[in-house]
Amino acid sequence: MSSANKAAAPVRLKNPWPVVASTAFMGLGQMTMQKQYLKGLLYALVEVLVLLNASVFVRSIAGLITLGEPKPDLPLRQRDNSIFMMVEGIIFLVLLLLFLGLYLNNIRDAHRTQAEYERTGSYPGTRAYLSSLADTSFAVVGLSPAMLLIIFFVAVPLAFSALLAFTNYSSPQHIPPANTVDWVGLQNMKDVANRPLWSGAFARTAVWTVTWATLSTTTCYVGGMLLALALLNKRIRFPKVFRVVYILPYAVPAMLSLMIWRNLLNGQFGPINRMLMEWGWLQQPIPWLSDFSLARASVILVNLWLGFPYFMMLITGIMTSVPADLYEAAQIDGANARKQFTAITLPMVLYQTIPLFIMSFSYNLNNFGAVFFLTGGGPTDAATTQSGAGATDILMSWMYKLTYDLRQYNIAAVLSILVFAVIAPFAIYNFSRTKAFKEGEL
Amino acid sequence: MTNRDLTMRRPKMTVSRALTYTLLYTILVVVALLVLYPLLFTVSSAFSKGDALAGLRVYPFQQELSLRQFDRLFQKTNYVKWYLNTLKIAAINSLISVTVTTVAAYVFSRFRFRAKKPLLMSMLILQMFPSFAGMIALYILVWRMGLLDNHLGLILVYAAGNIPYNTWLIKGYLDTIPKSLDEAGRVDGAGYFISFFKIILPIARPMVTFLAITSFTGPWMDFILPRLLLKSDGNKTLAVGLFEMINGRENNNFTMFAAGAVLVAVPFMIIFALNQQYMTQVLAAGAVKE
Repeated sequence: MSSANKAAAPVRLKNPWPVVASTAFMGLGQMTMQKQYLKGLLYALVEVLVLLNASVFVRSIAGLITLGEPKPDLPLRQRDNSIFMMVEGIIFLVLLLLFLGLYLNNIRDAHRTQAEYERTGSYPGTRAYLSSLADTSFAVVGLSPAMLLIIFFVAVPLAFSALLAFTNYSSPQHIPPANTVDWVGLQNMKDVANRPLWSGAFARTAVWTVTWATLSTTTCYVGGMLLALALLNKRIRFPKVFRVVYILPYAVPAMLSLMIWRNLLNGQFGPINRMLMEWGWLQQPIPWLSDFSLARASVILVNLWLGFPYFMMLITGIMTSVPADLYEAAQIDGANARKQFTAITLPMVLYQTIPLFIMSFSYNLNNFGAVFFLTGGGPTDAATTQSGAGATDILMSWMYKLTYDLRQYNIAAVLSILVFAVIAPFAIYNFSRTKAFKEGEL
Repeated sequence: MTNRDLTMRRPKMTVSRALTYTLLYTILVVVALLVLYPLLFTVSSAFSKGDALAGLRVYPFQQELSLRQFDRLFQKTNYVKWYLNTLKIAAINSLISVTVTTVAAYVFSRFRFRAKKPLLMSMLILQMFPSFAGMIALYILVWRMGLLDNHLGLILVYAAGNIPYNTWLIKGYLDTIPKSLDEAGRVDGAGYFISFFKIILPIARPMVTFLAITSFTGPWMDFILPRLLLKSDGNKTLAVGLFEMINGRENNNFTMFAAGAVLVAVPFMIIFALNQQYMTQVLAAGAVKE
């Protein structure tokens, strides 16, 4: 934002006609009155392109509003496909917004050029424009791939997902191309809140998601801290050997470990049950993953196996980096080992790990893999067959099942909005701590 | 560690203390066994002769060793293809991510323009969404582009999804490089293009390397997107292939799955060991920041 830009707006022009011309048609003022032929031509070209395709713009955006009419008498391929219409409508809406942005930019440019002419008495020539274009084009060429990818593969899909929450896009009644999809306003939110089928499953899953995130993060944190402490004890021999062994779960990709555990805990053939029975500790196999409460406990215990090394490494690092003079000063003051731990080590560790604890908590809220690869969200019960939410399903894995297995896209979209509302504060908190955010200028 | 010597004088050994340490050692050893058992069991399964989970001895390495499972994996499944697919997708994704992101971050760091602030803020908001929040739309977009069951579609989705966060990351790093450096270069006649490649990139190498590695390892164990966008068996990635090999067929395929898992986990563990020094530094740096 150069100072000329900011100053341009309030200046009253003696001759406003070039601006009027550019408002009427992009680039007209620049081309006919301001001797900015190349720039004007480029602007005009954009408008011509858009005008030539005006019917496509109108049709697509109208399609986004109507989502098509049911035409049951036509063959499937010729019926209105509401979902395609929706995606294309969003894309053309985005293109229209980009075009309007460029249009505004064109008017502003005509105004700026005119103001400069009235101040200096000459128009900036094509040569000056070209040299500024070289710099601008680096910026434009450099940014376009990133922006295009973001618009089409990130922003449009998210907008689409958010909009789905206000439609009835769901199996079996409203799946294109056989049927159309319609806007239903806030009906889905009402269903999730009131209809027993959804509200029961939602309440259970939401409560379990928070319980799961709390327990899984706490167990890993406490487990990691206890082991870090034990291994820093002077009397323990070979702490390095233990440490290397304990880090192993962190080095194996989590998805593989989870699938391995799923087999180890298999009620019928799993080696864990067979081992316990061989030792005579069990008469009957334990249904680790197929009993409602046991499955929840298993998910948390397996996650402890996966997650404690991270906190153990972290806390070990912090504890060994506490400055020695702190302890020396404490000793001189007569503090014993226990006092030193509670007054120096523990506060230091807590202070430095609280942000990471929060980050880990927000990660676990969405930890799809920890549930999906171990239990698949199961076990299921009578209520589950329709809603899809199993005993260990967290919101994220339930959302996945609603989309992938049950095709209840509208309900999944409502959930994704709710999940986002819960995650956003954490995401903002996490990001506000990063170096990029703190030190970078906007 | 040395500073702990100053702080803890060795207390006298008493009976209760001896008991405490026996207990402590017992716990440490039990934890070590719990950590090791699943890993050893998997490795031993990978080298077992039998196909069934039920047929395996519960203690690792109690049965005859054999390479039969690897043979099955290579002959009967598309495992080698999955491995190559994943390698290819990861490598191209890394290349695209690095190129697109560093140039965009450079523009954000060095140019001043009207849309800069709104663009940076929207990217900040976009990076908060998990990438599969828009999975239905992604499916339809990729379908309409004719890229379903095509690796290019998946790569574009991966690359795009990581741009917002990574651009912020790299921009933050570039902001710390003095602007006078590349301005001096441009005064000497080098345009933005040359000063970017000759001056900025070499300085930013550590950050760019970090980005290249994370965007390479990201796709290896990602499951949701490849399962959504790739259909035919020969096009799958490792995560989907291994998952479907074992999902619902635990008893029959576990040993073959174990062989496949070992071949993925071993390189990962080697990379982890090589990076450990670096990673603890990163972790420590993350922790020390207020």
